Amino acid sequence: MTTGEIVSNTILHDGYYKVEFFAPEICAKTQPGQFVHVKIANLRDRILRRPFSISDVNENGILTVIYKVVGEGTEVLAGLPAGTVCDLMGPLGKPFSLPGENELPVIVAGGYGSAATYLLAKRSPVKGVLLLGARSEADLILTDKFAAAGFDVRLATQDGSQGHKGLVTELIPPLLQEKSGQKIRFYGCGPMPMLIALSKMLQKGGFGGGEVSLDHLMCCGVGACFACVVKIKADNEDGWRYARTCKEGPVFTADDVYTDGE
Amino acid sequence: MADLTVDLGKLKLKNPVMTASGTFGYGFEYKDYFDLRSLGAVVVKGIAMKPSHGNSTPRVAETHGGMLNAIGLQGPGVEKFLHGDEYMPFLRKSGAVVIVNIWGKSIEEYRDVAARLDAEKDGIAALEINISCPNIKEGGVAFGTDLNLAHQVVAKVRQATSLPLITKLSPNVTKIADFARAVTDAGTDMVSLINTITGMAININTRRPKIANLTGGLSGPAIKPIAIRMVYEVSKAVKTPIIGMGGIMDGDDAVEFMLAGASAVAVGTAIFADPYAPLKVIDGINAYLERQGCKSVKEIIGGMILK
Repeated sequence: MTTGEIVSNTILHDGYYKVEFFAPEICAKTQPGQFVHVKIANLRDRILRRPFSISDVNENGILTVIYKVVGEGTEVLAGLPAGTVCDLMGPLGKPFSLPGENELPVIVAGGYGSAATYLLAKRSPVKGVLLLGARSEADLILTDKFAAAGFDVRLATQDGSQGHKGLVTELIPPLLQEKSGQKIRFYGCGPMPMLIALSKMLQKGGFGGGEVSLDHLMCCGVGACFACVVKIKADNEDGWRYARTCKEGPVFTADDVYTDGE
Repeated sequence: MADLTVDLGKLKLKNPVMTASGTFGYGFEYKDYFDLRSLGAVVVKGIAMKPSHGNSTPRVAETHGGMLNAIGLQGPGVEKFLHGDEYMPFLRKSGAVVIVNIWGKSIEEYRDVAARLDAEKDGIAALEINISCPNIKEGGVAFGTDLNLAHQVVAKVRQATSLPLITKLSPNVTKIADFARAVTDAGTDMVSLINTITGMAININTRRPKIANLTGGLSGPAIKPIAIRMVYEVSKAVKTPIIGMGGIMDGDDAVEFMLAGASAVAVGTAIFADPYAPLKVIDGINAYLERQGCKSVKEIIGGMILK
């Protein structure tokens, strides 16, 4: 465990924020898909930590988190000025595996799932495709960063305000046609229904392997409390078990995700 | 450094600070944070005969000054606990003082788990009988809120093992002292209290309960005054050593429990906020003793001054 001083904390747009911590020890160890567990300073009688995907780290020890104000914790975080020191645990969780040199990485992200997969794109030896979906144009974040990292960015919005009108998963079939013959490695991060749909598709086979980042309301962050569990296939009479997303995940092989009736 | 050793009858500890069952996993999860031998004892998450899925999600909800949980005793079952690398074999190697929390869906299952652990008790310092989990339909709190059943469970487990027994009491009763008497009569060596207090929370926007189980157990600093009161009541009713818990965040909180009559304490929810909380509690107790000029922590047990 360590501390991180807030270097900057700014609004991106429409309720999305970017906070940068100076945390060189965590940065040195971080792999794509991992998270940091933050004890938000000045949270008064709210005592639990908040987990945030690590969006980016750099060699200067700057750790970037993109967040949306969704409750008391993030509201207080949004008000913390540069210079504030927060207690940090991390990096925690199992990371994404980088694509092989002959694999085309295709990141399927929903909402601020793009934030949790940016480091993956940045470190990927092969530049691939980002399929990003959101409710509306205002919810599409980091698209320019992915483009700068050499990724081909394709967008979908439910209201049609930008890109394809509909679900991000609808962008997959045409992409598969276009890239037929290439070995693809899928990476998913976003809302659970999207990840279940992606996992179902990958489990049918014929598309190459894939990994998805799952999470659920988290508490301890290290696998001790069993709060943040999701159903993962298991060799028992039920066919599934509850796996801890903080320790056994958040990244799981898409083949392992239990999708029956989900 | 003051003398922090405590004597809980059959159990003697290097210091009075344990982890509360369910908040420290099986010790393994925190092995990279500190040496488990620094603790008075590690109390592991509840063990039953068979593996258990636990409850549906969401399982936790934060509240003012605490949290609700209804994990539902997800666990590996006693065989995996005894032989799986991340469980008892790891704990034996760690050198930690290990207390195994046990539960069952029937009196017989409590007995069977105790007997199974007794048969391979190397490295196990004591068993804690959980008759107070509020989050499972069968077993758990059903035994902890009925005086006859509480007595029967403890008596059966007593017959199954020679290990020191702790019985964890439920606060969801009218007179907790009656339960302390019943389990003492049945042969428990120690009592631990309190388990979580049944609570509920609703998301007003979605109008859904915040916990899938509907109700959950409230823990954290919000419940500390209730726990202190109950420790005090039990200390007046029985001579059985008490392990006090419920919202301990620092050394001063732990001292308060000991002044109320606890011989040892457990740190729970605070670990989620800070994995080092149990160590800070140990340091905090020592600092208090030095401030007060006490040579031993034993001097403050039951040391509240009434007038």
